[in-house]
Amino acid sequence: MSGMPRTEETAPGSARGRRRLTGVPPASTAARAVVHANAQGSTLGSAHLALGAGVLCAIQAIYGLIAFATNVGSYPSVLPAVLAWLLFIAAFATMGLSIATRGDRLPSWLFASYLAALAAVVALDFVAIAPLNDIGAYATASVTAGFGLMTAVVHRPARELILAVAALFIAFVAAIALTTPLTAETVPGQITTVAIAVFPPLVAVFAVRQFRRMVQLELDRVLVQSTVSAPRFAVGMLASEELARLDLAAEELLDSVASGRTALPLRPKLASTAASLATELRLHLIEGRRETWLYHAITESNQLGKSATLKDAGSLAGLLDPQQRDGLLSAVWLLVVENKKKSSPTTAQLVIGPVLPRIDPGSKRTITIPIVITTTGVHRNRVDPSAWAAIAKVGRFVDSTEHSSLRVDIECIVPNPADQ
Amino acid sequence: MEQFANERDRLLRSTARGLGLASLVVCLVCLAIPGVVPLGTLLSTFPLFAVFTFSLVRLGSSGSVLWPALGITAGLSILILVQVPFDGTTTPAVAASLVTLAGGGIAALAIVLTGSLPRIVILATGLVASTVLVELAVPGARVLSSQSVTVLLGWALCATFAYWLSATVPRAARQIYSIGRAHRAERQASETEAQRRQGARLLHDTVLATLTLLAHSGVGVAPAALQQQAGDDARLLRQLRLGGTPVPQSSEHFNVEPVEESALGHTLESVKQRFGRMGLEVSWHGTGQVLLPSDVLDAFLLALAECLENVRRHAGVTDAHVTITDDETTVRAMVTDAGVGFSLDDIDSARLGFKDSVVGRLKEVGGNARLFSSPGAGTTVVLEVPR
Repeated sequence: MSGMPRTEETAPGSARGRRRLTGVPPASTAARAVVHANAQGSTLGSAHLALGAGVLCAIQAIYGLIAFATNVGSYPSVLPAVLAWLLFIAAFATMGLSIATRGDRLPSWLFASYLAALAAVVALDFVAIAPLNDIGAYATASVTAGFGLMTAVVHRPARELILAVAALFIAFVAAIALTTPLTAETVPGQITTVAIAVFPPLVAVFAVRQFRRMVQLELDRVLVQSTVSAPRFAVGMLASEELARLDLAAEELLDSVASGRTALPLRPKLASTAASLATELRLHLIEGRRETWLYHAITESNQLGKSATLKDAGSLAGLLDPQQRDGLLSAVWLLVVENKKKSSPTTAQLVIGPVLPRIDPGSKRTITIPIVITTTGVHRNRVDPSAWAAIAKVGRFVDSTEHSSLRVDIECIVPNPADQ
Repeated sequence: MEQFANERDRLLRSTARGLGLASLVVCLVCLAIPGVVPLGTLLSTFPLFAVFTFSLVRLGSSGSVLWPALGITAGLSILILVQVPFDGTTTPAVAASLVTLAGGGIAALAIVLTGSLPRIVILATGLVASTVLVELAVPGARVLSSQSVTVLLGWALCATFAYWLSATVPRAARQIYSIGRAHRAERQASETEAQRRQGARLLHDTVLATLTLLAHSGVGVAPAALQQQAGDDARLLRQLRLGGTPVPQSSEHFNVEPVEESALGHTLESVKQRFGRMGLEVSWHGTGQVLLPSDVLDAFLLALAECLENVRRHAGVTDAHVTITDDETTVRAMVTDAGVGFSLDDIDSARLGFKDSVVGRLKEVGGNARLFSSPGAGTTVVLEVPR
């Protein structure tokens, strides 16, 4: 904490105002909204997905129960298998109830006891079928326990589930090695059964991961899309909050001086705080008129911020109408985000302007802005078809390949700002 | 939404590919165990496995229905080839191996086959054919063996998975778009807020001046005066924060309503008081009752305060004179001091601040500023704004 004294009045956001002075990166309401929304992104749709995992598990459980009922005559002692099934049903129901009532949260203790219950199910099932000397043919509740792991797939980190699946795999291999004679006749059946127990939860972990990534991407895109309707020049969400915070920090400092809580003359540390506040405030009052929607879109986006750069010395992007903006933003998005390859990072550089000299003297009311998109790691024939449609919304374009990556030259016609 | 739907299809395809490839490997491992199938039969299935693998790999990057169709064809061909000549000599081991292929590898394609009617037809064909072929491979003559039920289970699970994931996407999309709408509203609100704060330039000007004094630890200014100035500024900032558009004044009552036109004399007095506290005595001459649009007034007062600040800092005197005159079209202020003065030749490079903060501000509202000075002869600045 800096030497900034507190105000008695707990102003909204006063904590942020003070934190600002320590040089902690800004955590504005806008930034928090984005973070919050992104955090929601990890849960968006997940309740429905959890229900789906439960349905899949129930299908497998019904199948397992039928298989168990078919084979029940061969069991030397049915009791452990029946106990295993009852325990599984109880655990599954508890889990379902917990998810239905607690929603997105699955506390660690509950997950741990669920895992313990599943482990007991597997152990009981193995005890029951061990005398039959063919785990692959008779395992029912233990296979369903693998599906049971899926019910926690949206609530717990992937590594926990993968560890649990690995444990299940080891249990199966150990049980097979201990009880089943391994011959060409029996081995395929064992492998198949282990695969049925192990693959589905792994696939579910993978799918949920991808689903979250997809939701995050779409959320980022939708949030950035809001810049399309911004005025020609805007301060952007982050800068506006920053200004409010600086005002608040100044207010607190001045207030503490006025009330005499801070003695005059100021200590050097506080004096330098005041100096930096004044500098930043001055900067914020001057800047903000120069930045266009596109600048804000790129800086505010997780995805574009990483891979897109903008050179727009004349702030010409602000002249584009909403449709052209939408096209340009979608095009850049599709070029850099959709073609993501881990080996070669894709980047895009946008150069806007300078305004072309008027060729047709009749078109006085419009000016032509050249927009050049140069990329790295984007192959022309891998570009999403909708990217071309998006670019066409901006204006006439010519595409070419430069340094084995795509380059697009767009001629964007906008109304002459001098006429407005 | 379209892009989101594409993303969903890609997710379904990559899931199908992952499950399919894993099942193919398992099936191949099972068949490759010595004694499960004759070596010749095993070798003859390799090209079909290769085709199946290729179609699954292509499935990851292309949405064409060709690839799942090719994959199903290759998979069914393997099921047939292993059993040729269908003489009922297959073992449970072969049946178990084929279960992985039919209920895992081929059934994985069900994940991408729930979207449209033609795809569902392909799905149904693959389901029936693979179940029947596995049933044929099971030794003994039961109607529905446990192996073929397992195949059906695989298809059911894959199709349910695909259906469920597809049904989740629109729900997530709805939530995402409602967040997007809220975000757009928030962006507009924050833009308006920023404009309001940036618009309160007069206020910020006095705040900046006070902060600058504090940055020098307040040395050279009477503590009581600085405290009062800080108190005034803090109050104004609080009003700004609470939603008002305060204009600095000398009285205790602040104008919180936005005013279209403000009287000049009122606010001149606050400028005078501010500089008085900082040790520069400002004497006003001429008219004090001029009404100006608020943006013009802001620019005028900012420029004026900037000039006085220059006098305070550089002129080396403790008093300055401001003469306000007005006619039909123009309001004019003349700021004079009897200080050290400077050579006008230096102004462009040395006093960029003047250009930005004084000339720039006045030009924005259609005004103008002129500067007269020479070393030892004081300085006069004439500021003009339109009425």
